[in-house]
Parts: sequence; C-alpha cells; structure tokens
Amino acid sequence: MANLSMKKADVLAALIIVPICLYVFYESGKWPLEATIGSPSLIPRGVAACVLFAAGMLLFRALRGRSLPLERRLEGKDLRRIILTALITGGYVFAVERVGFIVTTFVYMFLFIWILGERRWLRLILFSIVVPIAIYSVFYVGLHVPLPRGLLR
Amino acid sequence: MVNFDLLIRGFATVLTGYNIVALVLGSFFGIIIGAIPGLTATMGIALLVPFTFGMNPITGIVMLLGIYTGAIYGGGIASILIKTPGTPAAAATVFDGYPMAQKGMAGKAIGIATVASGIGGTFTAICLTFFAPILALFALRFSAPEYFALAVFGLSVTVTLSGKSPLKGFISGAVGLLIAMIGLDPIGGFPRFTFGLIELTGGFSFVPMLIGLFALSEGFRQVEVILTAPKVSAVLKDILPKLRELKECSVTFVRSAIIGLIVGITPAIGAETACFVGYSEAKRTSKHPELFGTGVIEGVAAPQTAENASTGGDMLPMLTLGLPGDAATAVLMGALTIHNLQPGPLLFRDHSGLVHQIFAGMIVANLIFVILGLTFARFFARVININRQLLVPLIFICCMVGSYAINNALHDLATCVFFGFLGYLMIRYGYPVSPMVLAQILGAMMESNFRRSLAMSRGDPSILVTRPIALIILILAVFTTITAIRRQRKMLRQQVTIAPSPLSKEAKN
Repeated sequence: MANLSMKKADVLAALIIVPICLYVFYESGKWPLEATIGSPSLIPRGVAACVLFAAGMLLFRALRGRSLPLERRLEGKDLRRIILTALITGGYVFAVERVGFIVTTFVYMFLFIWILGERRWLRLILFSIVVPIAIYSVFYVGLHVPLPRGLLR
Repeated sequence: MVNFDLLIRGFATVLTGYNIVALVLGSFFGIIIGAIPGLTATMGIALLVPFTFGMNPITGIVMLLGIYTGAIYGGGIASILIKTPGTPAAAATVFDGYPMAQKGMAGKAIGIATVASGIGGTFTAICLTFFAPILALFALRFSAPEYFALAVFGLSVTVTLSGKSPLKGFISGAVGLLIAMIGLDPIGGFPRFTFGLIELTGGFSFVPMLIGLFALSEGFRQVEVILTAPKVSAVLKDILPKLRELKECSVTFVRSAIIGLIVGITPAIGAETACFVGYSEAKRTSKHPELFGTGVIEGVAAPQTAENASTGGDMLPMLTLGLPGDAATAVLMGALTIHNLQPGPLLFRDHSGLVHQIFAGMIVANLIFVILGLTFARFFARVININRQLLVPLIFICCMVGSYAINNALHDLATCVFFGFLGYLMIRYGYPVSPMVLAQILGAMMESNFRRSLAMSRGDPSILVTRPIALIILILAVFTTITAIRRQRKMLRQQVTIAPSPLSKEAKN
C-alpha cells in the first residue's frame, strides 16, 4: 500500500471511503429518533454525504489523470524497511501483554535497529537492553505506571 | 482584564519547586527535538504528554509549554548549521542562516536566532496574557449557535488551509468527523458505530490517536528516508550577540513579532507561515534587499522572531474559545483535557488561577530557552549528529508505551499504531493529518451545539443564521473556504503551466 502511485492511491481511497459512508447511512437509519433532542442522524448523514461527494471528485480527478504528483516512489530497500517496521510493530502490539514489556521491547528494539541497518553487535545488544530497562524504570518507579509483566508475572 | 495579583502568584508558582525543573527539562528536550530534522514541535509534545499524567496539572502544562516554545526555536539551529530546517517552522531561517555559517559566523547566527526567538516569544506571551481574558469575557456571551458557527469556521479554515489540496484536506477533516462520531451519542447516549465493541463505546482514545497521527506517523517517515546523520563541522564562536547587532535588528524584531502574533491568531496557520511572512517583509522593507540570502543578521532575526511570536497567537483561540490555532496547540489542548481542564471561556471563570499560571509559564518558557540556547549552543549543535538508527526505534517505543500507559489498555496501544500507520499513508499521499485531529475536537463541539441550538429554537434551524455573531462567523467560514479553493486552483494552473511533464507523467502511473 505504501508504494502505490498517486492515481492508484486516490482510486483506492475513494473505494474505501464509499462503503464507509454507505454504512453511516445504514446504521443511522436504525437510531431512536423520538427520544432525543434534534435529529441524531442529521449531522452523521450530512457529513457522510459530503465525504461521498468528495470521494467522487477524487475518483473523477484520478481517472481523468489529474492526481497531484507523488513526492517520491518507494522501491527496493526503502519499501522493505517500511513493511518490516509495520510488521514488527504489529507484532509488538500482539505480544507485549502476553510476553511482557521488557522481553518484547528487547526483541523489538533489536529487530528494529537491525532493520534500520545497524550491524555493530555491541551497540545493537546494549541499546536493546538499556532502553526497555530505562523506560520501565521511568514509568514504574518514576510515574507509578505499571507496564505489562507477561511471562515474568 | 488580566488580574495582576493572580499573575504574580502565577509567576511564584511557576518559578518554584518541580515546576521550574519541569519547565527547564521541557525546554531542553524541546530544543533537542527542534534541532533534529524531521522531528517537529507537535511530535515532541505528543511524545511527552503521557509523561505528564502523574504530575500536577500546572507542572505538566509548563513542561509541555517548554517543549512547544523550545522546539519552535530549536528548528533554527539545524537551518543554520546544515541547511535543513529542524522543524518546518524554521524553513525561512535557512536563507540567511546557512550563508552566515558558511562565512564562519554560525555562532553569531545561532546567537541572533536565539535572542530573536526569545523576543518574539516573550512579546506574544505578554500579548496573550493581556488579550486572552478580554476575549474569554466576550466569549462568555456565546451560546450554542455561536459555538456551532465557531466549530464550522475552525473546521473550514483548517481543512482549506492545510496541505496542498483542499479536496484532500476536506476528506481528512470529514473522515475525522466520522471517526469522532464513534461512541455514545452526545445527547441521546446510545452507542453509534461501535460494531458491538465495548472498547469503542467511548470512541477512540484521543491521546493515543494524537500520538499515532503526529508522532508515530513521523517515525514511519523517518524509517522511509533513514539516512546517516549529517555531520556538523562548524565551529561555534561569538554566540552572545553584541548590543550593536541587536540595535540593528530592533525594527525587524518589532515588525516580525507583530506579524507572528497576527499569523498565529489566524486558525490553521502557525509558525510555518509566520517565518516566511516575517522574512519576506523584512526583505521588502530593507534598505539593502539585495543582501538578503547572502548571510545578513536581519535575515535570521526576522523569521526566528516571527515563528516564536506565532506561539502566543496560536494559544489565544485555543485557551479562550477551545479552538486550536494549529496542530501543536491541538495536542496541547488534548493534554489540558487529560488534566480535566476544558479550554474555553469557562476555563477563565472556573480556573482563573491556573490560567494565570499558564500565562506566567508561557513568559518564563520563552526566557528559559534563550538562556539554554545561549549556554548550550554547542551541545545542541552536536545533537544534530545523533544516530537515527537508534533514535527512530526509541521514538516508536516512547509512542507505544506512552499510549499504553494512559489507561493500561492494549486497545489504546493498538489505536496509536493504527493511526500511526494511517497517518503515515495520509502524509505520503497528500492528506494533511491536522484536519483529522482538529475534527476530533471540533466535531463533538459542532454536533452537540447544533443539536442544542435546534432544541433552543424548538427545531427551527434559522436560529443558526439569525443571531448576528453566529452569522458573521458563518459568513467568514464561507468566505475563507471560497478564497482558499480559488487560490488552490490558481496555484494548480500555475503548476501545470510551469511543469507540465511531471504532472502528466505521474497522472499516467
């Protein structure tokens, strides 16, 4: 998704927006009208109608070849770096409560720094160890905010 | 009017104990954030908001004010030393700052930039102190129709003035409005668009969303363009400006400070615009405009004064009307609501003491970064050399931990990551993220006041256009929108005329 041309991205955006707006119309039709002050569905439907119109214009412009130019296309290593970052970040969300903050953050930092191209092992390992411990200390000791302990519980 | 007794007490509070420590730390961190290209003031505030939860409201707020003012100033350091603005707000400082550095006057340029930022920021903070209570008193007369009109005005200005394309700005803002509707109906109290998920009953958490859209999205952009950090080799000397140089720039200081204040008050445009307007006015009115761009001190003083002068202007509508002036003040507004403080005229009535502490904090913050900037200039210059391969993962972790720590909830962390990636894609494909965030604040304001207005008039919508203040604000909203669209069309036509090939080539892809 991060390496689409502007035209394709505009078309895709319009195709995502349209069903969302239709859903707004569908759900707002089920709301209780009498019990509330004003019409609860008026603003949501009004906004959805405006978004639909804007999405139509976006689609029309894209198909007519009037999309704005893209700053730069992502290819090769740059694209791979973004995809891997998104994947490990998603993995972090999935694992942090199950495995625990310190272990997950150590693995995450190690992988992330490696993905960004750092290959000096001492720096890689040291930073991956220091950061989770330092952040845990700041939040747990300094701000009294508990972070997930996971397997260490 | 400003209450001097409360203001003096405000200074006493800000200058004692943890508050001054928090302010100095915030300012120091802010300058570092500002000095590193790619990291913005908004990102700095969003990153540090979670760290203020456990603090007293005023301690947390002055810390964030320190970050805000410090980061806006700090952007100039990178502009001068490496020809890359640390923040978008410091883009115009490059024009004369970098040529000065090339002539071996990097220290002098940084010194002038520091003092200029301090003068602009302090001036605007004093103006904020005097004008905000007057505006808040006036705003106390506002009722639901006026607030509805204000929300519409704020949204229309934000949507049309941010980003390259008003259409994409509009889509960003309108989708933001739809997202803001997720949760309980503000009047009826029934769930809307929650898909049966209990986590969505209160809507998306605002702060994780802010952190995602402003901080994590920028993190993704840094991953995209990860580069070896530029090496700063300039030797900094003569940092402290001479009295003669300050006298030379005195008119520039005054003019740019006023420009910055006015630009700041205008919703949706902030420091980025102020610095360019300040620079171009200084050049236009100079006796030697041909020297601008070759490394003259007025060319550094003008944008730096204007950009920091915009901070007080941006704060004014946020504090008095609950209408954020730019993205950074939208995040500050989010931080205030976390501490159970709702910006708007009632804040001045119910928390007058705290409001005066904020004024005092704003003034002191501007003086603190001058002291720090002049004392640690060499250190801040070296910060630019920081290893991005270590910094970017640290930003990601701070964003995610901060989001999680708000309620110890995994769905807040997921919200941050979701909006972080969404924000990255939006920026990449030309959708400004500010309208989406501002729509979260203004959407709720618009909807609830619209329905209250209808309740006041027993269902007659003409109430929205028959009250004079509401009508004037709505006319302004329409006028601004039309002007912005016309300007955008003109710009696009010029773009097509100047460079037809890249446009058509891209459009074919």
